[in-house]
Amino acid sequence: MKKGNRSFGKILMAVMILFFYLPIGYMIVFSFNEGKSLTSFTGFSLRWYRHMLESGDMMEALYTTFSVALIATFVSTVVGTIAAIGLSKSRKIVRNLVEQVNNLPMMNPEIVTAIGFMLLFITFRVEKGYMTMLLAHIAFCIPYVMLSVTPKIRALDPNLADAAMDLGATPWTALVKVIVPQITPGIVSGALIAFTMSVDDFIISYFVTGRGVKNLSIMVYTMSKRVNPSINAISTLVVVIITLALVLINVVPLIAARREKQENTRKRRVLPWAAAAATAAVVLTVVLKLGGGSLDRPFEGQTLHLYNWGEYTGENILKDFEEATGASVIMENFDSNEQMYIKVANGESYDVLVPSDYMIQRLISEDLLQKLDPELINCMDLLTEDVKNLPYDPGNEYSVPYFWGTVGIVYDKTKVDEKDLKEQGFNIFLNEKYKGDIYLYDSERDSFMMALKALGYSMNTENEQELQAAYDWLVQCVQTMEPEIVTDEIIDNMAQGRKALGLIYSGDATYVMAENENMGYYMPETGTNIWSDAMVILRNARNPKLAHAFINFAASYEGAYDNSSYVGYTSANQEVMDTLYGEGGDYEGLNSYMPRSGNPMDEVFVYNEKTKQIISKLWSRVKIAASNA
Amino acid sequence: MKRFSQLALPYIAWAVLMLVLPMGLIAVYSFMEHGNSVIPFSFTLEHYVTFFTDPDFLLILWRSIWIAVKTTLLCLLLGYPAAYFIARSGEKVQNILILCITIPMWINMLVRTYAWIGLLSEGGLIQQILSFFGLGDVELLYTEGAVLLGMVYNFLPFMILQIQTSLSKMDNSLLEASADLGATPRETFRRVTLPLSLPGVINGITLVFLPAVSSFFIPKLLGGGQYFLIGNMIENQFITVGEWNFGSAISMIMAVIMMLLMMLVRKVEVRNQGGKEE
Repeated sequence: MKKGNRSFGKILMAVMILFFYLPIGYMIVFSFNEGKSLTSFTGFSLRWYRHMLESGDMMEALYTTFSVALIATFVSTVVGTIAAIGLSKSRKIVRNLVEQVNNLPMMNPEIVTAIGFMLLFITFRVEKGYMTMLLAHIAFCIPYVMLSVTPKIRALDPNLADAAMDLGATPWTALVKVIVPQITPGIVSGALIAFTMSVDDFIISYFVTGRGVKNLSIMVYTMSKRVNPSINAISTLVVVIITLALVLINVVPLIAARREKQENTRKRRVLPWAAAAATAAVVLTVVLKLGGGSLDRPFEGQTLHLYNWGEYTGENILKDFEEATGASVIMENFDSNEQMYIKVANGESYDVLVPSDYMIQRLISEDLLQKLDPELINCMDLLTEDVKNLPYDPGNEYSVPYFWGTVGIVYDKTKVDEKDLKEQGFNIFLNEKYKGDIYLYDSERDSFMMALKALGYSMNTENEQELQAAYDWLVQCVQTMEPEIVTDEIIDNMAQGRKALGLIYSGDATYVMAENENMGYYMPETGTNIWSDAMVILRNARNPKLAHAFINFAASYEGAYDNSSYVGYTSANQEVMDTLYGEGGDYEGLNSYMPRSGNPMDEVFVYNEKTKQIISKLWSRVKIAASNA
Repeated sequence: MKRFSQLALPYIAWAVLMLVLPMGLIAVYSFMEHGNSVIPFSFTLEHYVTFFTDPDFLLILWRSIWIAVKTTLLCLLLGYPAAYFIARSGEKVQNILILCITIPMWINMLVRTYAWIGLLSEGGLIQQILSFFGLGDVELLYTEGAVLLGMVYNFLPFMILQIQTSLSKMDNSLLEASADLGATPRETFRRVTLPLSLPGVINGITLVFLPAVSSFFIPKLLGGGQYFLIGNMIENQFITVGEWNFGSAISMIMAVIMMLLMMLVRKVEVRNQGGKEE
């Protein structure tokens, strides 16, 4: 029986280790993939590593992760050790109380702790960013350090410090020379736990960060919506670093122990620590070296904070802008206007934002934007008349258009009957023929637009019964059609032909159609949303001059061409639009690239506080219904 | 001597500011009518009433707890034999196996979860293997199964390590004594090994259940946008809907439920230790 158990155990262990390492191995293999796919390996290449090294964003995230972890570990180890020593001499009631308080971050769900920190920083108007992330990390690391140091202190002879002081040591010397050496193992393991917790943290960092400061976790979370093999490359790099450090920690002492049989515990315990620190230091210097380079440029050393949609900038525009001006750009991405609004309304400072029409109207009415300085803006003549002087900002006093387009249905011509589309319009999303084969888009405004248009109402309706009807339409859809509710994931998935139908923004459709010729784009005759997104400058922008320079750059032919040809959205720059749509252009003749004109049912969103709130609430209910379906 | 106790004072101040106050703020926000500013404060129970009177919200809460329970059970089922095997191995093998289990834990959770997307997606490795067995058409990614898999994958090491620690602390002579006194291996396991490993099991359950119930990036990455758990609901309230008061109320509800569960677990632990001493 015992033997049988052993071999069962061996098999279990083998399967389990395979399970643990399978995704890691898969990731490493696909980081060397030539193609973009995450499922088929097409050939060996280092292109994703090159991409990673060139992407300032990723290296910055790596730097933030490790620098925050190192500082937080150091501070929390020192503070935690001192506090633990102090507490051991405090009254019992104090000790128990602090223990209870320390349990808070360890015993609470992490998201609750995270929200606590976020509310704290916002209530006291501390600007969220690197410092707040660091403070939060220190705060949740200290309890772990104390947890591992305290038992070691308890095990000490309480008279030790007294004895040292009787022999003439000052309290400080007694502490450093007598107590600390005795509890070093506890301190080291506490520090290691703190470091692990900090490096791995996502939830807390995600809620307390701001101004585009990202660690690795936040970066993966915000970037993971589209296939991006660079994530595999940077992950592989992390795997290599961590494995090296761990091997050093574990192997070096083994070798040392073998070499000199007589025990010298202290040395052994310090070694792994030193090894980890050395590895980390090497990583830091490598990462830091990647910055640098200085010439005589107008905005040398300044920083632009850009808050833009995900997948909304070209491959080179930020780098080109940095090279031309000497400034550096920190970009943060959002998924929806609403998400962006919450941050902005809570006083976070950005220089340039790219919201949509109705949101610009709201930001203007709430006095969150500053007027553009006409002296500094030289790009208006380059833009198409179609997107200038729109009702949300007559005269373009606040905004310079960036992209524009429509909302429609992307469909797989091989799976969808075009007659269904023509006859049913948006109601095709209720056609059970396509059950389990559709994507909805996680945008409250455009989901309600779809439902309202399907029902023949105006998308700007303020009639609550019509809104309720639209809500019922959406609930019926999520309950009977098994849709997947996505955001940018739709782009790669439709390009791969994974589903038959999806609600999509025209620009994403353009990209999908350019990648996969089986895909089509349809705008229902019952009308759709003609939207435009424009660049604006926040009232609390730190560097409005640089913001103006960026706006001009992004609207110029070079900037706009890079943006539009890379992401597929229709440029506001007339010449770029003509080039890309015209003969030989990247998007020659694609109906999604040229926004429709002349359908009287098409509308532009108008901001209305009350309907916004209703729609917002109802949409989160729709998602809950989808989840419970 | 007494002077050392003053060393704790700065930390006490810090802990009040950074650990107690945030929880207090969540409580205050959750009882506040509307808006994101604490002054002026107007008391309401509205958010709690909304939550508890809505079947949809309760269903989400229930589903979050249920999937966390399933995760915990699976981790226990897989983790216990593994931990037992490790603890029974020789010291060298033990160290290597523990290292094998620890290394993935050092690699960012998000990154490891992201890797599953490629494995599970259509045409990915897992589906290819399944289709080899004639099960090709199963949809894997963006299902509850994927979420469960992601959770077990991320949290199983906690369980193994906790149980292994308590098993390896056990004195081997106890097993010998039990055998000498005529117990079958099965009896020995049930009456000696299992009770002695219980503290590890309980710690493991805590360490798995707690993050599983509140996780929001695993459901989001592997379950898709239409898969909502209570953690996603909180995130959504704070990041996109902007109803911070309601979000705070959900956070409070979750914190209280967790606290109650933890107290329950502690009680089991205490009772068990009491039994041991008899």
